[in-house]
Amino acid sequence: MNEFMERQVKLTWHEPKASYDVVIVGGGGHGLSTAYHLATRHGITNVAVLERKYIGGGNSGRNTTVIRANYGIPEAVRFYQRSVELYQRLEEETGRWIMHERKGLLWLAHTEAGVRAERARARVNTAFGAETLFVTPGEIKEIAPEVDLTGGGQWPVLGGSYHPQGATARHDRVNWALAEGAMERGVHIHQRTAVTDLLKEGDRVTGVMTDKGPIHAGAVVSAVGGHVTALGRMAGLRLPIRTHPLQAFVTNHYALDFHPIVASMSLLFYASQTARGEMLIGAEIDPQPSYSYRSGHHFLQSCAFRAMTLLPFLRRLRILRQWTGVCDMSPDYSPIMGKTGVENFYITTGWGTWGFKAIPAGGEQMAELIATGETPELIAPFALDRFARDRTLADRGSAGTH
Amino acid sequence: MPTQSQSSLIVDDEPIHFDPGDTLLTALLKADRHPTGGGCLCLGGDCPHCVATVDGVAYVRTCQTPARPGMTVERENIRGYPALPADRRPGPVAPAQNLHCDVVVIGQGQAGRTAAADARADGKTVITLDAQAGQEVIGIYPGPLVVARTDAATLHVHPRDEIVIATGAAETQPVAPGNQLAGIVTARAADELAAAGVNLGKVVAVGAPPETIDVEHASGELIRFEGDARVTAVIVRDEAGVERRHACDTVAVGLGFYPRDMLARMSGDFPVRVVGDAATEARIPPCPLAGTVCHCTGVAVEDLDFIWAQGFHEMELVKRATLAGTGTCQGGACIPHLRSFLADRGAELQPAFTARPVTRQLTIGEVSAGAFHRPTPRTPLDDIHRELGAQMDRMGGWWRPWQYSQVPDEEYWAVRTGVSLGDVSTLGKMQVSGPDAQELLERLYPTKVSTIKPGRSRYVLLLNEAGYVLDDGLICCDSASRYTLTFTSGGSTTAELWVRDWADSWGLDVRILNQTMALAAINVTGPRAGELLARAGFQAPLPYMGHTEATVAGVTCRVFRLSFTGELSYELHHAAAEADILWRRLMALGAELGVKPHGLQALTRLRLEKGHILIGQDTDYDATPRRINHEWAVKLDKPDFVGRRAVIRTNKIPLDRQLVGLETALPAPQEGDLIYCDGQYAGYITSSSPSPVLGKAVMLGWLELFDGQLPDAVTVNGRPARRVPPHFYDPDSRRARIEVTPRANAAQPLPELTPRSGRGVHGTGLARLAATRIVARPAALSSAAWPDDLIVLPVAPDEALLLGRNAPDELVARVGDPHALAIGDTSFVAAELTPEAAEAIFQRTCEWEIPPDRPAFAQGALADIPVKLWLEAERVLLIAPAPFATDVVERLL
Repeated sequence: MNEFMERQVKLTWHEPKASYDVVIVGGGGHGLSTAYHLATRHGITNVAVLERKYIGGGNSGRNTTVIRANYGIPEAVRFYQRSVELYQRLEEETGRWIMHERKGLLWLAHTEAGVRAERARARVNTAFGAETLFVTPGEIKEIAPEVDLTGGGQWPVLGGSYHPQGATARHDRVNWALAEGAMERGVHIHQRTAVTDLLKEGDRVTGVMTDKGPIHAGAVVSAVGGHVTALGRMAGLRLPIRTHPLQAFVTNHYALDFHPIVASMSLLFYASQTARGEMLIGAEIDPQPSYSYRSGHHFLQSCAFRAMTLLPFLRRLRILRQWTGVCDMSPDYSPIMGKTGVENFYITTGWGTWGFKAIPAGGEQMAELIATGETPELIAPFALDRFARDRTLADRGSAGTH
Repeated sequence: MPTQSQSSLIVDDEPIHFDPGDTLLTALLKADRHPTGGGCLCLGGDCPHCVATVDGVAYVRTCQTPARPGMTVERENIRGYPALPADRRPGPVAPAQNLHCDVVVIGQGQAGRTAAADARADGKTVITLDAQAGQEVIGIYPGPLVVARTDAATLHVHPRDEIVIATGAAETQPVAPGNQLAGIVTARAADELAAAGVNLGKVVAVGAPPETIDVEHASGELIRFEGDARVTAVIVRDEAGVERRHACDTVAVGLGFYPRDMLARMSGDFPVRVVGDAATEARIPPCPLAGTVCHCTGVAVEDLDFIWAQGFHEMELVKRATLAGTGTCQGGACIPHLRSFLADRGAELQPAFTARPVTRQLTIGEVSAGAFHRPTPRTPLDDIHRELGAQMDRMGGWWRPWQYSQVPDEEYWAVRTGVSLGDVSTLGKMQVSGPDAQELLERLYPTKVSTIKPGRSRYVLLLNEAGYVLDDGLICCDSASRYTLTFTSGGSTTAELWVRDWADSWGLDVRILNQTMALAAINVTGPRAGELLARAGFQAPLPYMGHTEATVAGVTCRVFRLSFTGELSYELHHAAAEADILWRRLMALGAELGVKPHGLQALTRLRLEKGHILIGQDTDYDATPRRINHEWAVKLDKPDFVGRRAVIRTNKIPLDRQLVGLETALPAPQEGDLIYCDGQYAGYITSSSPSPVLGKAVMLGWLELFDGQLPDAVTVNGRPARRVPPHFYDPDSRRARIEVTPRANAAQPLPELTPRSGRGVHGTGLARLAATRIVARPAALSSAAWPDDLIVLPVAPDEALLLGRNAPDELVARVGDPHALAIGDTSFVAAELTPEAAEAIFQRTCEWEIPPDRPAFAQGALADIPVKLWLEAERVLLIAPAPFATDVVERLL
């Protein structure tokens, strides 16, 4: 036994049925959250979640668990702030310990342009309900005394933004709490069930073909990570998504003593300490598109070096494990949620490096869309047709690395 | 105070003795100290039971670490998780060592030795890595690359042909109640400990016994260990079902072997061969009945039963839910038992969870070996900026002066009322020539390129296929088949790729020469700029947006008349090597005019008063020409250009927001401040500054349309502001376009300046290399007959770097290509090295293989610096861009 072992969640498995009201493809956080919210908010429980491997086995179980709303455009600040708030209530709502912890998030700037960007971030965050403060180097030192403000003599810290509600939660526990909440209300989750095609009648999607046979559905939701373009093609959609690997690593376990989440906007890394005491460090996406989960040495070497430059105490920590996930990047670095133009086929994708933090709000909003047929106001800006309508949500500066 | 002798360690603040040949573990055991308090020791580096904090580094495997005098050991489990290091100061990083070979053999047991010998017999070069010899392989990576930790350096081994994995097998750990006690060892470990002189007392063997020591055999199934902290007895059950108790001091367990297959499992599709015990099929032990399965996380059989009953059946889910296998041994001890448990409960043998680096651990400092920050280039005038006390900032990817003067607005007023110099060397600069040069630009740019006359320039936007603005700059026409392009500092790399990619895609007959680093550029700006240039000998009547070749202050320049600041301005493009002298002469010649340098802070303010946008600051990825009010720069009546179809399509969609000019009273709002209209969010400020000359604050910002209209009155950060045309200052641009009358005999003698030779580029001592770069058709280039004394470096199929002092014109004449481009390029520095010195640099910093023949040319990154190498038998020329001279010295030499 250890104090972090899952003791609460009970997963109840079912035999697949020939048809459901809603079939959700992808048993990651967004798929599970959509199912959970369909069941809890709308009483829609004749729902199946189909997962190719095991639940939470894709990016939902590979991300670095940062929850934040410090985006650079109003649409995104509002949406992620909703998610931050839902996360704060999720333990109470599900009765499950997701290890949610408010840590505060520091984004460090090393150039005049970076300082300007963080100042602007603080303004737009505050105006749209997310608390973010511009902080001076002196204030940064108080929040994170471990930071070397000279940046190793090469990357001096000129200022930054501080997002006090920046938090983390244990990714697996979020997935399981949502899965359990959906399952206990009657939702079916089928693991090791791969979707191989979509069933269609004319332009209408009527179900999915799986490696275990056809399943009919009143609505099909793609909550796929990684191979979403392949699923989109089955529906006749060409999705504006490129998939890039994203890597991270953890050290061994140490006594808890590093409190905030620290990120550098020039050195492109971030670091936090997990509840189990590992230092968790990540970086930007790999530049080349790929579906590969293979870990690279250059990432580990370079990211470790960059992190150590601002957090010199890291240099004597021993590395435990590195791993890789994949990120679906949209052209404007914002997610895509909503209707697709193909009847009965809905999509939630483009989750880049920010999927985990959006799990509660993304599922809540998608569920409302499916239940009511109307796109909720909060996610209307994120519709797929925004690219054709020239209403993109350019926010690359906020995509950050986590 | 603990004392320290030639053969003692400090363990938990107490000195203990060790013998020659001791590992930390054997020394600890001889002193009757178990590193973690208990658990079955394996001596193979596979289990978590011997870890300790050694010399401030936690989680060191004491069984793999030779004891050395004065080492400090702190035991971990006794105190819970080790503390984070208290030392927050930067420290040294381990060096990297790059090694190249045909075959790398990991593990030097019998199978590994045989594999290495066989490969050598085949004439292969072989590198062996062995944990017993202190070379701990942390992973096999794409490349292929094998990384190993040693005490002295982190090894990066690059095999050409094959990786042989001969890592052997680990001994299976016992799972039974009491298996966390001290005094339990594997059978192999018992032999090794005895050989090392550790007193094991009375040894009882369960399963296969040790080979070299006397033991009492306890035959039967292992039931439990007994004892308080240390084992005092082991209980087994014989075939008749009778439990037997064997009192002992040590239990040696021989429960079989499990291949060390982590490296093999992570190697994917690399050419890997697994030999020896590592290649054997995993033998799954009997399903554990009770006791701790994962010692790192304290997960026992009963926990597995619990989680199974909760519906967690997949191997990965069981790992994630219990955390078994996620501790410091990464499943080394528990994977066989987890697989066995799940096979028993689920009637299906599931694969082990994914093998991931690192298989043996190393510190963040050790893995950083060979890592460097991406270097920030310095302009040829960098020394001057720093001498002048400028506050330097990274902008657009370069080190640039932010401001020189502490006097508020001094730099600004120098431009508005006198004359000032600015370093604009970082601008992207490119020449394009060839029969299709004009065609290429017509297709790329939304302007009518054919109407730009020779000697004239035009401001242009560069659009992507979506009709969004990628960059802006100038097209300068030299002739109908030759153009000079400029790009923004930050956008030039993308722009170069953009131009080359399209030229290639369209198969157009053009030559493209990047001049960004080769040419420095000084902007002479202010109402008295003409006077200063006249003093410097330039008196040609150059019209606004004209350009010409000229000698200015003794330096050959291309002079562009344009204006970013709103004042009369001349941009002087010249060879990088001459920037220092040209700047200093202009400063001396302009002393009587009160010339001063201006930095980026003043420049961004000056351009804002003119409403000139900064791509990237005022725009994001979705800026259409219409949104930034630059439709005048887009000629939709052209037959085609990149982005035309998108612009036509999006122009039909109602406009949602626009980049507009705003003004308000002082003090100036901040960039990022929000704009509201009647209490509704309406946008944000991208650029804001007090305007000293206008006495108010001027801004650019994104403003939303309401009912199709841009509001005229808004609030910015709660203060009223007015929308105005963004040309705040001199809206008709009379000052920029002013006709400059040539003044005869204004030229002054060139000032005598102290030469600054000897310091080299940026004080590094490295001299600029005299070279010519030529771009031509590949066939013409490869067949050109060059003078014998030139060193010719084929840097690209269509580009050669020629080392020598020959005149570019003379050299380019030798190429059978009338459209070939040449530039005397002084933007490289070179270091001449002995082959030995070069080899040492390569070992530290070169991840790729240096060609073996001599002479040879090679290029690639060393320590994240792009270098070119000319390798002769007796010397090596290391050539790097001068903007990285400082980094070359700090990182390589």
